[in-house]
Amino acid sequence: MAVNIRRPAARDHGASRLARNLFFGAALFYFCVPMVAVLIYSFSTRWTANVLPDGYTLQWWQATISDHRIQSAFSTSISLATLTALIDIAVVVPAAYWSRVRNARIRPVVEVAAAIPFALPYVVIAFGLMQFSGVVAPQFQGTFPLLVAGHAAIAFPFVYWAVDGAMAAAGIERLSETAEACGASPFQIIRRVVVPNISSGLVTGGLLSFAASFGEFAMAQIIGRGLDTVPLWSAEMIRSYTDTAGSYNRLAVVTLLTFAVLFVLSAVVVYWNRGQTVRLLPGAAATDEGGRR
Amino acid sequence: MSGVSLVGVTKMYGHVKALDHVSIDVCEGELLALLGPSGCGKTTLLRCVAGLELPDKGTVEIGTIDVTAVPTRDRPIGMVFQSYALFPNMTVRQNIAFPLEVRHRPRTEVKTRVDELLELVNLTEQANRYPKQISGGQAQRCALGRALAPNPEVLLLDEPLSALDALVRGRLRDEIRRIQQRVGITAIYVTHDQSEAMAIADRVAVMNDGRVEQIAAPADLYDLPATQFSATFVGSRNAVELAVREGRVGIPGSFHIAAPEGSNGHALAFFRPEDVQISRGQTGDGMRARVELKIFLGPTTRLHLVGEDDGRPIAIFGDMASRQARLIEEGETVRVHVDPDHVQAFPILKAGQRGS
Repeated sequence: MAVNIRRPAARDHGASRLARNLFFGAALFYFCVPMVAVLIYSFSTRWTANVLPDGYTLQWWQATISDHRIQSAFSTSISLATLTALIDIAVVVPAAYWSRVRNARIRPVVEVAAAIPFALPYVVIAFGLMQFSGVVAPQFQGTFPLLVAGHAAIAFPFVYWAVDGAMAAAGIERLSETAEACGASPFQIIRRVVVPNISSGLVTGGLLSFAASFGEFAMAQIIGRGLDTVPLWSAEMIRSYTDTAGSYNRLAVVTLLTFAVLFVLSAVVVYWNRGQTVRLLPGAAATDEGGRR
Repeated sequence: MSGVSLVGVTKMYGHVKALDHVSIDVCEGELLALLGPSGCGKTTLLRCVAGLELPDKGTVEIGTIDVTAVPTRDRPIGMVFQSYALFPNMTVRQNIAFPLEVRHRPRTEVKTRVDELLELVNLTEQANRYPKQISGGQAQRCALGRALAPNPEVLLLDEPLSALDALVRGRLRDEIRRIQQRVGITAIYVTHDQSEAMAIADRVAVMNDGRVEQIAAPADLYDLPATQFSATFVGSRNAVELAVREGRVGIPGSFHIAAPEGSNGHALAFFRPEDVQISRGQTGDGMRARVELKIFLGPTTRLHLVGEDDGRPIAIFGDMASRQARLIEEGETVRVHVDPDHVQAFPILKAGQRGS
C-alpha cells in the first residue's frame, strides 16, 4: 500500500507537530485546571477577589484529616465500594460465563437486566428499594447491608460489560470446551481457566463498580439514612456553608482525597491491563527466548 | 484401549439434519478419518463422541460402555481442536498437566507423566514457555500432549492441521500418526483434506450431507469409490458423461463396461488421469483425441484431451510420464485408452459434475 511507503518520520512536519502539541496542551489545560483550582483552594486562607488566594495554610488539610467524621465517612465509603465490587464480581462472573457458554438463551435476559440501572434514575431505584425493603425487611432500612445490596444492584452492569467483553476477547467458549474435554468441572473451569484469562476485565469492571459506588449519592441519601458516606458528607458541607467557616476548603481536601483514591486504583488497573494485553495478545509471533517468568 | 461404536446417531439443528442415522465402528487402535466438505456433519459427529453435542437419536459407545448420557468431562477422551485452544495463562508444561491436576492425581505422578509427554511430543525445551511464545506447530503438539495426558481411550482430532502452513502441516501429520501408533490409541480424525485423510488414516469415512457415503481403507477408497460422491471427492478424477448403448457404456475404441443399475440413457464414468494411456501416432486402437493443453507437474505431465463420441466432444485429463510427454506437442492428435478395470460408472445424478 502506498501509505506504507512513507516513512513514519514524515508525519512530523513542523506544522502538524505544532497542531498536535496545541491540541494536547488544550486538552491538558481543560482536564487540569479544575484539579489545580481545587488543589490551590484546599491550601488557601481566603480566595475571593483575586486571581490567586490571599494566603496559604495547611489548616484545612490538618483539620480534615484529623476529623473523625471524615475518617469514618471515608472508611464507610471505601468498605461500601469494595464490598460492592467484590459482590458484583462474584455474581457476574458465573452469570456471564453461564450465559456465554452454557445457555445462550438467558443472554437477552441478562443484557436487559444489565441495562436497567442505566435506564432508570438511581433515585427511582432507591425509592423502589426503600418501599420494597420496608415491606420485606424493615429492620434493614437505613443500614449498611441494605446500601451494599443497593449499590451492588446498580453497579453490576459495569462489571458485566467489562467481564463479558473480556470473555469475548479471550474466546472463553472455546477454552471452556477444551477444559471440559480435559475433564475439568464447571467450578474448576471458572477458577483455573475463566478467571485467569479475563483478569483485565475483572480489574476494569471492579474499578468501575467501585467508583460508581464510591461516588453514589442519591441512593445513599434515600436508603442509607443514618450512614455517613463521602458524598453524603460533601453534600452536607455544601449546604452548611454559612454555618461552618472553611467548609468549602475542607470539601476541596475531601475532593482531592477521593480523586487520589480513584487515581491510584486507575493507575493500578492501567498497569495491570497493560501486562495482560501484552501477554494475551493473540497471534503474537513466537519468540525464541525462554519463559519470561 | 478400546474402540468406538456409533449407532444410528442423528442430530438436528432446527429442521436441518446435521447427522442422519450415522453408524460407524472404530476398531481398537485404529485411526479413522472423517472426510467430507464443510457442513457434511463430520465435526458434529466428532463432538457427539466428545459429548460436546448430544445426539437426538442413537447411541455412542466407547469400549463397551454406552456414554451417550455421560458428560464430556467424565468421558475417556482426549481432544485436539483446530484452533489450538491452549490455555494462554499456562505454560506448555502447565497445559499438559491440567487434565491430570483436575483429576487430582498426586503431584509426583503428574510431574513424571508430564515429562514423559513433553518428550513424546518433543517439547521438552519449550516446557516453560507460554502459548503465545511458541509456533503453531509447537502449539498443536502441546495440545496433542495435553489430550494424551490422562491416558484416554479415544483421541479426537478436529481438523488439527488446518490452521498451519503447508510445510508444517505435512510434518505434523506424520508426527501425529507416529505418536498415535506408538501409544496405540484409538483415534478419530476430522479433516476436509482428502490427501491428509489418505496419508494418516487406517480407514477413511467419507461423509456427505450428514450421512456416511463409504468407509474404506485409503487405497480401496482411491481405487474403488463406492458412490458418485466418493468418486468426485476423493482423488483427482475424470468424470465423463456417456450414453448407454445396449446396457453398456464406453468410449469408442477405448473401453466398454456394463452400464450401472438405474442408469437412464446416460451414465457418469469416473476414472483417474493416471489410468489413461496415451499413445502417439494416427493409426491403431483407441479414441482419437486432440491435445489441448500440456501441464507439467514434475514427474508427470497432465494432458487436457478432447475426443469425440457420436459427435459429442469428450474432454478428459490424462497423465503420462513427463519424459514421454516431451515428445507430444499441443494440438497433436493422440490415441487414448482407458483400462476398463479402473473405470466406475454411476447413474447420472447431476449432469455436468466433474472431478478436478
